[in-house]
Amino acid sequence: MLILLQASDWTYFIGRFHPVLVHLPIGFLLIAGLLEIGRRTGKISVNDSTITFILFWSAVGATLACIAGYLLSLGGGYDEELLSDHKWKGIGVAVFAWIAWLFKSGKISVGSAVYLPALGLSTLLTFTAGHDGGSLTHGDGYLTQYTPEPFRSIAGIPPRTEEKTEMKPITDINQAVVYKDIVQPILEMRCVQCHNANKQKGGLRMDNLAMLLKGGEDGPVFVSGKALESAMIKRCLLPETDDDHMPPKGKPQLSESQITLLSWWIEQGVSADKKVSDLKISEQVKPALASLTSGSEGKNAQQVDSPVLSLQVPVPNEKSVAAIKKAGLIVMPISHDKNLLEVSAVNASGFGDGQINLFSPLSEQIIWLKLGGTKVTDAATKEIGKLKNLNKLHLEYTAVTDEGLTSLKDLQYLEYINLVGTKITDAGLKNLASSKSLKNIYIWKSAVTENGVAEVQKLHPDLHIVNGFNEAKVAEFLKAGDTNTKEEKPRIQ
Amino acid sequence: MEKLLKELQHADLHGQTRRHFLQSAGFGLGALGLGSLLGSCSNSNAETGVAAEAMGAKIPQFAPKAKRVIYIHMAGAPSQLELFDYKPELEKYHGKDCPAEFLEGKKFAFIQGVPKMLGPQGKFNQYGQSGAWMSDYIPYLQTVADEITFIKSMHTDQFNHAPAQLLLHTGSARLGRPSLGAWSVYGLGSENQNLPGFIVLASGGRQPDAGKSVYGSGFLPSVYQGVQCRTGGDPVLYVTDPNGMNRNMRKQTIEAINEINKQTYDDVKDPEILTRISQYEMAFRMQMSVPEVMDVSREPQFILDMYGVKPGEGTFAMNCLLARKLVENDVRFVQLFDWGWDGHGTTAGDNVEGGLRNKCRLSDKPVAALIQDLKMRGLLDETLIIWGAEFGRTPMQENRNGVVMPYMGRDHHLEAFTMWMAGGGVKKGYTHGETDELGYYGVKDRVHVHDLQATILHLMGFDHEKFTYPFQGRNFRLTDTEGKVVKNIIA
Repeated sequence: MLILLQASDWTYFIGRFHPVLVHLPIGFLLIAGLLEIGRRTGKISVNDSTITFILFWSAVGATLACIAGYLLSLGGGYDEELLSDHKWKGIGVAVFAWIAWLFKSGKISVGSAVYLPALGLSTLLTFTAGHDGGSLTHGDGYLTQYTPEPFRSIAGIPPRTEEKTEMKPITDINQAVVYKDIVQPILEMRCVQCHNANKQKGGLRMDNLAMLLKGGEDGPVFVSGKALESAMIKRCLLPETDDDHMPPKGKPQLSESQITLLSWWIEQGVSADKKVSDLKISEQVKPALASLTSGSEGKNAQQVDSPVLSLQVPVPNEKSVAAIKKAGLIVMPISHDKNLLEVSAVNASGFGDGQINLFSPLSEQIIWLKLGGTKVTDAATKEIGKLKNLNKLHLEYTAVTDEGLTSLKDLQYLEYINLVGTKITDAGLKNLASSKSLKNIYIWKSAVTENGVAEVQKLHPDLHIVNGFNEAKVAEFLKAGDTNTKEEKPRIQ
Repeated sequence: MEKLLKELQHADLHGQTRRHFLQSAGFGLGALGLGSLLGSCSNSNAETGVAAEAMGAKIPQFAPKAKRVIYIHMAGAPSQLELFDYKPELEKYHGKDCPAEFLEGKKFAFIQGVPKMLGPQGKFNQYGQSGAWMSDYIPYLQTVADEITFIKSMHTDQFNHAPAQLLLHTGSARLGRPSLGAWSVYGLGSENQNLPGFIVLASGGRQPDAGKSVYGSGFLPSVYQGVQCRTGGDPVLYVTDPNGMNRNMRKQTIEAINEINKQTYDDVKDPEILTRISQYEMAFRMQMSVPEVMDVSREPQFILDMYGVKPGEGTFAMNCLLARKLVENDVRFVQLFDWGWDGHGTTAGDNVEGGLRNKCRLSDKPVAALIQDLKMRGLLDETLIIWGAEFGRTPMQENRNGVVMPYMGRDHHLEAFTMWMAGGGVKKGYTHGETDELGYYGVKDRVHVHDLQATILHLMGFDHEKFTYPFQGRNFRLTDTEGKVVKNIIA
């Protein structure tokens, strides 16, 4: 048992059963209460031993739920205050359930003077503890979030506000008011949920500037001009596991550039109405500001990624995957969080047109396909053209020709195609280049001419057509080192 | 063969006494009970075959930008002040005493007392659309300036070669941790089933100072360690069949040995035996694949010229060409070491003037050719090239034992050095970080070696904080408790 009190797989395993166990005493106690009411009002006839029996199991269930709940709480990540309320109320349920049972069963005979209040309290606590539990799991205010009018006003719940999770792009960054257009939206996204007129964690409100300047229980949250001495910034910079870190562990965190922007605003004197252009913009702040204009704040990393990576596709059919593997190819999800597939024939140089149908059942999932050096021909490209989400395609050193490429140019996600060492010609390149998505075409050692490349390049200046070195170009490359060819004799000082 | 097996069984039975039987029976039964009890919550996967699973391709945590890596390590540490980090101000202080603030509380490997400042020896200019600064030491690299991301503000914690190399490659200055290459193959496996996932090629006449540990597997299963191939003669020693033994006989031999190993594994359950089994199988496949991939004689002459390679030579240039051939065959991680960059100024070969120029003359062309070659084959997109050393060199001239060296030399320097990367998801034609006017400290966007490691793992599809291996009671990672991804260099 002692072992269980330390956080381990076992504690979490048992802890996770809390939500399961907890419903047993709830149900049992309500039944006991209802039966008691029914009996006392003469509506039904119930044997005392039935209620005693139910009460016994209520008490047992409540006790088990308490234990599991405690173990679950060891995992952390809950609001301490609410957790403590919930814990003691839960323990209360169990204690009063045991008392009710003790007296009901006649083990201690004082009669209903103790029994009824105990049962009543236990049932009442079940409700409040249950509500706290719900708030812990789903978040405060979950129950009443969608209360419609007029009940909303009657119950005194403030009008519903849209929860902000993303900043709108700023069109003219220089004219943007730093507090209103940058700082406050960041606070709204990450802080105001717990620091507003209704909920003031630590006595702090961050929903308007006046209140923010006032600070919280621990005094002001910043020192104007000194970001690193400001509690607001310090807390953001603490490790996420630190108790004082803000936003609390598990909540959406501020991004680096958001912290940079908040620090910058503090450094520059916490002004209410100055515009971006009025303040000194350091090198560090520039990229953070730039990210605001594109609306990419907080998702910078994905911004340049290919759109194909954000596609949601169904889980690939296991049998189809196995069939391709059986043919000696590598089939793998491109990453753990995606169903998109990568297929490579690096170990299957014998792969040919006859097997190309293996890909058909996975036409949505396959995005990266490596068939370089295999026996595929134009007959295969028709099938490849049906892999509608294809993003990178290796066909180097295959017998594919211009004709085969015509089936590929409508692939709307195709960005990379490797045609090194194929027979494609200027005409094939020109045709392929009309694809809107293509970014890189590799045509070294094909029949494409320098003129052909130049011509296509003129039509599609953004397309990256890569040819390679031949003897003449290598000779030119080698000239770069003309100055550096003879061995140096280091001089002695 | 059967006779051999019988003999083994016989020998085994000889060793079995009644006491052994009772002991193993008792423990065995207990273990059986315990095993079935704990089976469902045990994380151990040694049973399912580390080695069998080890080398297949594996899935990264998120979509990778770099699928392969060529890591070029210039062991000894070339001077950034002669190659990339242009400091005209340092020229003005040439020959003057080093300011006291550069020396107070600092430790150097050799510098003693007050050294003189040493101005840049190369002629610098800006190259490419990106205007990257490079010196006349490296005329070929100038031609590919726009493919490269330079990090000028690298810094490290160690000022001696071996610990600094260990820190760079394994994340810790002490022995025992897996290397970057080993982590990569552990995480991503190997795509080509006939070649090791992690291959090491060394040149310059000596191995890196920290020895094999810089490409070792540390506490990871040893299948993940780097396989060093020789560049001249047989690439891997003893991999060819001896006279009189044909491939079929070799196959039978290996099968028999593996069968015996399998039995021993069933007895003692040491996962290293599985490693050995898979290595034998790999070696057998390598008999065919390695000589083929390491044979440059079928490369066209102009490609050989581009790298400056003569077939049969075991040079750095040859290693660059081989690196291309290996990644072309989907080898995951190719580690190049070139020894001889330690320009203290003590000898004619060991200085930042002629000595460094000569090292550059041997390596500049092949490195530039490697970038060009990968690019025209469409491989640079997914292949990350990393170039650099374990630390940098001081803006001061070395004065070992208080004596001015006979040649222009610089001491080891950990506060600032330059590394560069190209391909595999990094920006093209970009310079990250800055050093002060004299090139002593990084003053902007400093990048620690742990940050570099975090960034490389990120490019390969791993969150360095979540990419761990449990060892001796805790989860270990390459960057230990440090490291921040340098997002600005990612394309």
